[in-house]
Amino acid sequence: MPLFGRSQKSPQELVKQLRDAVSALSKGDKGDKKVEKASEDVSKCLASIKALMNQSAEQDSQSEFLAQLGHEMYSANLLLILIQNLAKIDFEGRKDVVHIFNNLLRQQIGTRTPTVEHICQHQEILIELMKGYENKEIALRCGMMLRECCRYEALSKIMLYAENFFDFFNYVEVSTFDIASDAFSTFKDLLTKHKMLSAEFLENNYDKVFDAYLTLLNSENYVTRRQALKLLGELLLDRHNFTVMTKYISNPDNLKLMMNMLREKSRNIQFEAFHVFKVFVANPNKPRPIMEILLRNKEKLVDFLTKFHTDRSEDEQFNDEKAYLIKQIKELKPPEDS
Amino acid sequence: MSFLNCGSTSSKVSELTHSSRRKGYKLQEKKRSRPHSRHVHDSKSISTVSTMIEFENDYQKYELLTVIGRGYNDAATVYLARHIPTGQQIAIRQTYLESSKIDLSVLQNEIVLCRQLHHESLLPLYTSFVHNNDIWTVMPLMAYGSCRDLIHAYFMSGLPEQAIAYILRDVLLALDYLHNRGIIHRAVKASHILIEASGQVCLAGMRNAYQMSRNGVKQKMAFDYPHTSKLLQWLSPEILEQNLAGYNTKSDIYSVGITACELANGYAPFSDMPATQMLLEKLNGIKPVLADSSTIAALSAEQNITDSGVPSDSGIDTVEANNSEKTGALGYAYNRTFLNTFHQFVDISLEKNPESRPNTASALNHPFFKHLRRKTTEALPALLHPVTPLSDVHVSKMPKEDPTVDDLGRDFEDLDMAVDWDF
Repeated sequence: MPLFGRSQKSPQELVKQLRDAVSALSKGDKGDKKVEKASEDVSKCLASIKALMNQSAEQDSQSEFLAQLGHEMYSANLLLILIQNLAKIDFEGRKDVVHIFNNLLRQQIGTRTPTVEHICQHQEILIELMKGYENKEIALRCGMMLRECCRYEALSKIMLYAENFFDFFNYVEVSTFDIASDAFSTFKDLLTKHKMLSAEFLENNYDKVFDAYLTLLNSENYVTRRQALKLLGELLLDRHNFTVMTKYISNPDNLKLMMNMLREKSRNIQFEAFHVFKVFVANPNKPRPIMEILLRNKEKLVDFLTKFHTDRSEDEQFNDEKAYLIKQIKELKPPEDS
Repeated sequence: MSFLNCGSTSSKVSELTHSSRRKGYKLQEKKRSRPHSRHVHDSKSISTVSTMIEFENDYQKYELLTVIGRGYNDAATVYLARHIPTGQQIAIRQTYLESSKIDLSVLQNEIVLCRQLHHESLLPLYTSFVHNNDIWTVMPLMAYGSCRDLIHAYFMSGLPEQAIAYILRDVLLALDYLHNRGIIHRAVKASHILIEASGQVCLAGMRNAYQMSRNGVKQKMAFDYPHTSKLLQWLSPEILEQNLAGYNTKSDIYSVGITACELANGYAPFSDMPATQMLLEKLNGIKPVLADSSTIAALSAEQNITDSGVPSDSGIDTVEANNSEKTGALGYAYNRTFLNTFHQFVDISLEKNPESRPNTASALNHPFFKHLRRKTTEALPALLHPVTPLSDVHVSKMPKEDPTVDDLGRDFEDLDMAVDWDF
């Protein structure tokens, strides 16, 4: 290749060089001359690895290059080291780390995904990545790598069952909007990408998850509240989460919360609340406390729903559902044995 | 044509890192004394500000001074504001999330994407946070406003040719950065090109940007289409066609060509016709041109043909009125002649076949951009004379915004939802 004609370094050399530079970078303090040099070296190494990666992709020899590179990276445990030092690497260098990490992750040899296997054996990588949301500088970069990891069920499982999964309930609410948004999309991926996995997780950790979820629904942050409510609706309406849904709609506190959210000031929140509320009403086997609340508010609910978002005339599904709910509530009768 | 020679080096150039490319790309510094005394601005450059100041996620740290713009279907209001702890003037965009005309996820994508890009010719975003039902986005103040604003304010018949060269050069540099990262901007137009008091040119409007790599797979062609009809005039024929061939980063070059005409003529091409006719003309390969002494004859002739096509019952008077109005509007064109290289640049950018258009690297080597100073800030403010950037002096003359008025209106809308449940 004319572009990189000078000297073609082997993956071994590059990885060794990168490892040495990162270790020099991690030792020094900011402002130190040596650290500046190390930082430059790290970025240079990353850039040449990335360039070789792209070059091999163009020459259809990517799998070979990735296999060699991966092998070297795993044995030096460089993925972990890179992520631990991500904040010390410069802006473009961080981007290159993401690029290299995600490409390695997607690497397949036959049916094997060696990087996924490597991370399964070194779960600290995922823990470090999740903690990345606590550092403004690297949060979005870690997010990009985490979402790539979310595509693999084995990695999703480790993250869901990790102790610091529950830190996501704080991350999605941080004041910096882009970080909160990014954390929310990772959070959502974890709870929706692998249906069976997340259904099982939600069932086994129902109390802990939904207690924490309540803080999101009551958040002072409008976007958190709105997104959490929307995701709740999606989770409950997914048939994989039938058990979780049944449990959720049996709790009268949840019904009260949704009825209160129906009359929130924000129209968007009212609308999302409607999609959770409808599940309570549509339940053919309403537990007694739920039935009682609905009966007590029968007239008000019918009146309220009749006037609810009447301007959405073109949304057919919504209007059908609304009509169905009104009919259901009108026909509610106290249980025989009361 | 020298352009073709440049084309062969283009692929090399795009592979190099940004900084080394800027060094490699030859811009001849031409020392010329400017007749206008340039305004001296004490405002620091954007990049120094962003590294020096920590912008808090707390609305109380900002004082909103006056409205300087609106956007995103009127859900967004842009304020000239002051960062109270430092006194730094900034711009704050407030986007009302309850508006039914916006898509929250689109806004999120825009903000997350902007935070991951660093280029001096891309509008940076210092921070963003939620306050009540709005997202506040803190950005540098672009005191000259957008190029559209400049046209409205003073340059009704188009910006000076030299100013356009600087502006388009910087836009191409921003696009080059985006294209190398697999991002198609899709919304290059005068209103998205902003200019800072120092003369720094920034491309904005990243909301419509499209990333070519999805789920880790790099696509060769894009098949996603912008969800707004406001961009149609600037979009390339292949985007408008929405066919199986798709489109790629070259469609941004077409938009640059349209924008070049917009900046030079004072109005965007195709403004005077219905969307269907515009589509037809673009698909037939009809290229808009810069209106000057060399093209005006053809332009007027075309105008006459269109006018004679008006049904006779519409009345002769109106036709005549139309005619004189148009000649009047284009009258200035007789008195100016743009450089040949400018005409050539527009012509090649507007090629119907995307393959025939230059990529950003070879466009930057086009002769039209030779002989520019390396730093736009050294030349642009003088070229925009007599327009001056927005400053404190203007602000004190403007009425202060009372944000409570808006909030009241919003509260009224919600009153009818008040019910008390029996629990």
